Amino acid sequence: MIDIKKTYKNYVDGKYVRSESGKTYTKELKNEFYELPLTSRKDIRDTVTSSKSGFNKWNGLTPYTRMQILYRLSEMIEGNKESYIELLISHGMSKQKANKDIELAIENIIWFAGLADKWEQLAGNLNPVSEEYFNISHQNPIGVVFSLSNSRVSLNELLLSLLPPVTIGCSVISYSEESSVLALKFAEDINNSDFPAGSLNILTGKFENILDDVSKHVEINLVALHKEIEKDGLKRIQENASSSVKRVVSLPSISGLSSILPYLETKTVWHPKGT
Amino acid sequence: MVDWQYSESIESPDIVSIKKKYSNYIGGKFVEPKSKKYINTISPSTEELLSKVPLSNEQDINSAVKSAKVGLEVWSKLTPNQRSRYLFKIARLIQERSREFAVLESLDGGKPIKESRDFDLPQVAANFFYFAGWADKLDLSWATKSLKPYGVVGQIIPWNFPLLMLAWKIAPALATGNTVVLKPAETTPLTALLFAEICEQAGLPPGVVNIITGDGSTGSLIVNHKDINKIAFTGSTQVGKLIQKSLAGRDVGLTLELGGKAANIVYEDAAIDQAVEGVVNGIFFNQGHVCCAGSRLLLQESIHDQFVKKLEKRMQSLRVGNPLDKNTDIGAINSKEQLDKITSLVNEGVEDGGELFQTQCELPGNGFWFRPSLFTNVQPSYSIAREEIFGPVLTTLTFRTPEEAVEIANNTEYGLSAGVWTEKGSKILWTADRLDAGVVWANTFNKFDPSSPFGGYKESGFGREGGRHGLLSYLKASS
Repeated sequence: MIDIKKTYKNYVDGKYVRSESGKTYTKELKNEFYELPLTSRKDIRDTVTSSKSGFNKWNGLTPYTRMQILYRLSEMIEGNKESYIELLISHGMSKQKANKDIELAIENIIWFAGLADKWEQLAGNLNPVSEEYFNISHQNPIGVVFSLSNSRVSLNELLLSLLPPVTIGCSVISYSEESSVLALKFAEDINNSDFPAGSLNILTGKFENILDDVSKHVEINLVALHKEIEKDGLKRIQENASSSVKRVVSLPSISGLSSILPYLETKTVWHPKGT
Repeated sequence: MVDWQYSESIESPDIVSIKKKYSNYIGGKFVEPKSKKYINTISPSTEELLSKVPLSNEQDINSAVKSAKVGLEVWSKLTPNQRSRYLFKIARLIQERSREFAVLESLDGGKPIKESRDFDLPQVAANFFYFAGWADKLDLSWATKSLKPYGVVGQIIPWNFPLLMLAWKIAPALATGNTVVLKPAETTPLTALLFAEICEQAGLPPGVVNIITGDGSTGSLIVNHKDINKIAFTGSTQVGKLIQKSLAGRDVGLTLELGGKAANIVYEDAAIDQAVEGVVNGIFFNQGHVCCAGSRLLLQESIHDQFVKKLEKRMQSLRVGNPLDKNTDIGAINSKEQLDKITSLVNEGVEDGGELFQTQCELPGNGFWFRPSLFTNVQPSYSIAREEIFGPVLTTLTFRTPEEAVEIANNTEYGLSAGVWTEKGSKILWTADRLDAGVVWANTFNKFDPSSPFGGYKESGFGREGGRHGLLSYLKASS
């Protein structure tokens, strides 16, 4: 009898897909070789198209619904805890650390799920203008976010790289290099949690291959780098981004209110008061 | 018979004494530029030379930044309450010398005295008052674990609201504990240099505010200076992109307040006469030299003809002329360069097939002037419907449904502001929710307040100025 090995694919528009290029890269885990999608420029374009419609769908839901979908995600992970722990151990993590990682991951999803219907109260306010006007500042999610996850293989850290923008209604393209197997496994739980297609996409590959495509793509509204990028690469990303005033955040905060601030656009609405 | 002949009412320029030549304000002193070079600043309404100001070079920037670093040492050691007091004091001094500033602003920039006196200056003082009160309450402003100032901030401001943009920049920067090197625009440096006197009068510690004048090359030197911790820029999207590019790979904060092409949406159920007033204010305020100007009028098809007729009639009553005449509605175009740009875009609009209406009025012989203009019969693809004209030129487009209005409004790379006119509350909220714009004026336009955040979506920039949100432009929030 031989074991059945899982095939990992990118998760785009609510579907599991191979790279259109047909290219893969190999990852060895416990004497098994996994062929993971090597995301191409065309894959990025397709994913952005899906993320744009995913953004409208996800942001179109009520905060109450988004909160429940995020909570559902924690239920899914809880149910698959053992398989995550096993996967982390196969990446070389101790059992104790793996346990802790999953616990923290669930804790953080719960925290962000509960934030989904509260952040607007924390980040917006009435403004006391000195004339007879009603004036309120509230926020919109910035749109399509590309998030490069960090190199540590940790479910908790992977989640913290995408939960802040997702919680407030952005759609996210999460891109992993080192934690690719973990990220693609996580896609299965996203798929089972009622996220609208395209709201949360998981890609793997070599970031260097798509660095220019991502930072030049005018329909990606923000690039979040959760990994230290070598200086020239960062410079190239920021230079490319300037052609469409794209926002780039390097090593953004991943906890508390400050974690969501980069992904918000503040909108201020005025209306006269009168009879 | 009463003689209804027009008689002007000129604000006396005597209240302000303009020096023949100005110096930079560095380290609490007025110092001549090491460049030894000067540029002329003229009155755009007469083309007469007003004064000469330094064309600062690298050495000048070096000493300004160095002085801001020294200033930071002192400023950061003061208690928040002491910083607050300095800002309150500055606010009061501005109120006291308000008329002097207003006249100088109108002379140097060409805007009507009615606006500099009743809008710019009261807003300038209000900004210093507002942020004075934040200086000792930063810990209450945002529920984040730590908020730290950037340090030395380089600020580059435009010529449309010279002193007000200075206030928008300096007041929050100082309130949050930063020190600044500010460069006013090449064509409107004088009120910033007069503001330096206010800093002196207020006894502000040397180096906290440094003001250096020059042109685009001076601005670029500030952006590229190695000891600058943050850049705040207001100006064109084109220059904003260049600045963003220059800062690539460097650990320097950046906020940008850039161009706009705001849609002003008038639904058929709007209060038409009010909307006409609002549309006029939206585009002709400050000669249309306003980044958030309502330059794209979106009319629901059913009211197009009626609205345009009323609008043309109202436009005809706008008085164009001497900025110091208290009756003037529209002053001088800020510079020859800007006038050429407006003229060329308007010519292009006519060539494209747009129908042009311009008011009939006499324009002064000297100076830079442009008649209030309205384009109808415009396609969304025309450059007059896409590019920021930054002048008294309104472009009209039509729509049938609210969905279409939102689609047209958002079909631009800009996202600074927008207007909505309807008597139906639910439609206002529905529309406002869907507009990609940092400021939405509903049944009003071009309203500003220091407590109200201002700034854009998309290519109109990032960061906010004003309000609690404006503090974040000068503070680093961490977890």
